[in-house]
Amino acid sequence: MPAQEPNLSVKIGKIRLKNPVIVASGTFGFGEVFENFFNLHHLGAIIPKGISLQPIMGNPPPRIFETDGGIINSIGLQNPGYKDFIQKRLPYLKKVKTHLIINIFGNTQKEYVELANRLNEVSGISGLEMNISCPNVKQGGIVFGTDPRMTYRLVKSVRKSTTLTLLAKLSPNVTDISLIAKAAEDGGADAVSLVNTFKAMAINIHSLKPELGNVIGGLSGPAIKPIALRMVWEVSQRVKIPIIGMGGIMKADDAIEFILAGASAVQIGTANLINPRTAIEVISGIREYLIKHRISRIQKIIGLFQSNKKAPSSFQMT
Amino acid sequence: MVRQLNAKVLKNENIQSLYYLLEIYCPWISSRIRPGQFIMIKTSENPYPLLRRPFSVFKSDYLNGSGKNKRVRLAVLYKKVGKGTQKMAEWEKGQKINLIGPLGNGFTLPPLSYSSEIILIGGGVGIVSLYPLAEALRDRKLYVLIGAKAREDLLCIDEFKKLTSNLFVATEDGSAGFHGTVIDLFSTLKREFDRKDPYYLYSCGPTEMLKDLKRTISFKKFIVQVSLEARMGCGFGACWGCVVKTVDPNIPYQRVCKEGPVFNLKDIVWD
Repeated sequence: MPAQEPNLSVKIGKIRLKNPVIVASGTFGFGEVFENFFNLHHLGAIIPKGISLQPIMGNPPPRIFETDGGIINSIGLQNPGYKDFIQKRLPYLKKVKTHLIINIFGNTQKEYVELANRLNEVSGISGLEMNISCPNVKQGGIVFGTDPRMTYRLVKSVRKSTTLTLLAKLSPNVTDISLIAKAAEDGGADAVSLVNTFKAMAINIHSLKPELGNVIGGLSGPAIKPIALRMVWEVSQRVKIPIIGMGGIMKADDAIEFILAGASAVQIGTANLINPRTAIEVISGIREYLIKHRISRIQKIIGLFQSNKKAPSSFQMT
Repeated sequence: MVRQLNAKVLKNENIQSLYYLLEIYCPWISSRIRPGQFIMIKTSENPYPLLRRPFSVFKSDYLNGSGKNKRVRLAVLYKKVGKGTQKMAEWEKGQKINLIGPLGNGFTLPPLSYSSEIILIGGGVGIVSLYPLAEALRDRKLYVLIGAKAREDLLCIDEFKKLTSNLFVATEDGSAGFHGTVIDLFSTLKREFDRKDPYYLYSCGPTEMLKDLKRTISFKKFIVQVSLEARMGCGFGACWGCVVKTVDPNIPYQRVCKEGPVFNLKDIVWD
């Protein structure tokens, strides 16, 4: 008997994704540099490089440093600003037949609100992801993302200014990430994305200089995956809105772990830089997993890793 | 057009000191790559080392005796310095590897109407990226200046000898050729070059060397294209990790992998 084609589609806010695999902001450029590697239409959604109202020049180099199993970056949210994005970047992205979620950040609540307002008028955009978690710049919103009350207030004000699906991207550099996630939910976010990078640094022991121009950067890659997974699992106990899990996903098995822990979708970040086809390979790996375990819909395995849930018999068989 | 490809190692041999010559069978990249462009190589299948490593291409050519008119072979000359190149040094014939390329913007050649001298200055392993350029310019008035720390670090001397009779060599320890840096050597030769202007000058080497060149040279007399080295995240323009500061008032930090690796030296700002 031929295996049944599993349904990979998931819903995040008002968006129906064809599959749960999204490419993360800051690791996918504005999409165009990946078109030679695969057909972008296959992605669940694209989140291009984060944008602000005004252009940002970014941090001084060196901006990237490889550590064991990870990379530390301090790009500093370099971006051409809202106007340039709309004029030069969006027309290309709009042609891709998948959902477009725009990652935004600002210095102040007013700037977030203004960006959300402006983007609400633009066609071809499905959602907004508020970056309240960049560790590299003061205006990266981390000040909003480390205090539950400020998270609540910021999300609430942005919620009022947009009808688009609204995501809040959370920082792991907090004592209890589930408190921040709850605040975002209470403020009206449709989903939470977690985690952004972990604050980190490296020193050149021979020159006594920092390995990054900005001294401190954010750690990503396989080194952070177990911690990110734990945070997704903790947040899933606390909030009802969908979770988009990320942090060191390199292959389908990693993505499936996040989904079992409670993520409705996943984001691929650092892996895009190393194997630009990772997202596509993750999509087919998830599909094969579902077929192997004879599961008809991905919905059925979201949060399946729960002590009180009984796994389908196919899991005990293997 | 950029592609991500699997390719097979044809040869990987230690040619001198810490330097290795890697030959890869890869018709797609070999037949398309232009002087100054580069490739990204995954040095390990597992996540250690994590990132790909950038390499300029030493040669892209035909297999010996293949008799076909399409370039199929890529040669990379690398120095075993870190954990990535240490992995590479272990490769043997038949090893399957993964490449991305051709990447970046290469050198712009002088117009055919330009008939004056063309100067190439390479430092250390940087000389490798100038070799395909020298091949493209072999019928013109070519001067090549090669510098290295010591005799055992001098690369591609025999190859360059076949392309020009105007080959000059410098070592910092004086173990071969001129005693000093290649920029010191350039300064001593400048009078010879001072008869006509402007000159096309191409360079690749360590940042300190290029800074030195910038201090030495008059941009009224020379048009200088340099190929920069940088730590790279992706190599194809996605991460903005490899930027260099330029005089561009709108976008001061430009990507070495995408807008570069070749820049006009006068546009680069080193703080």
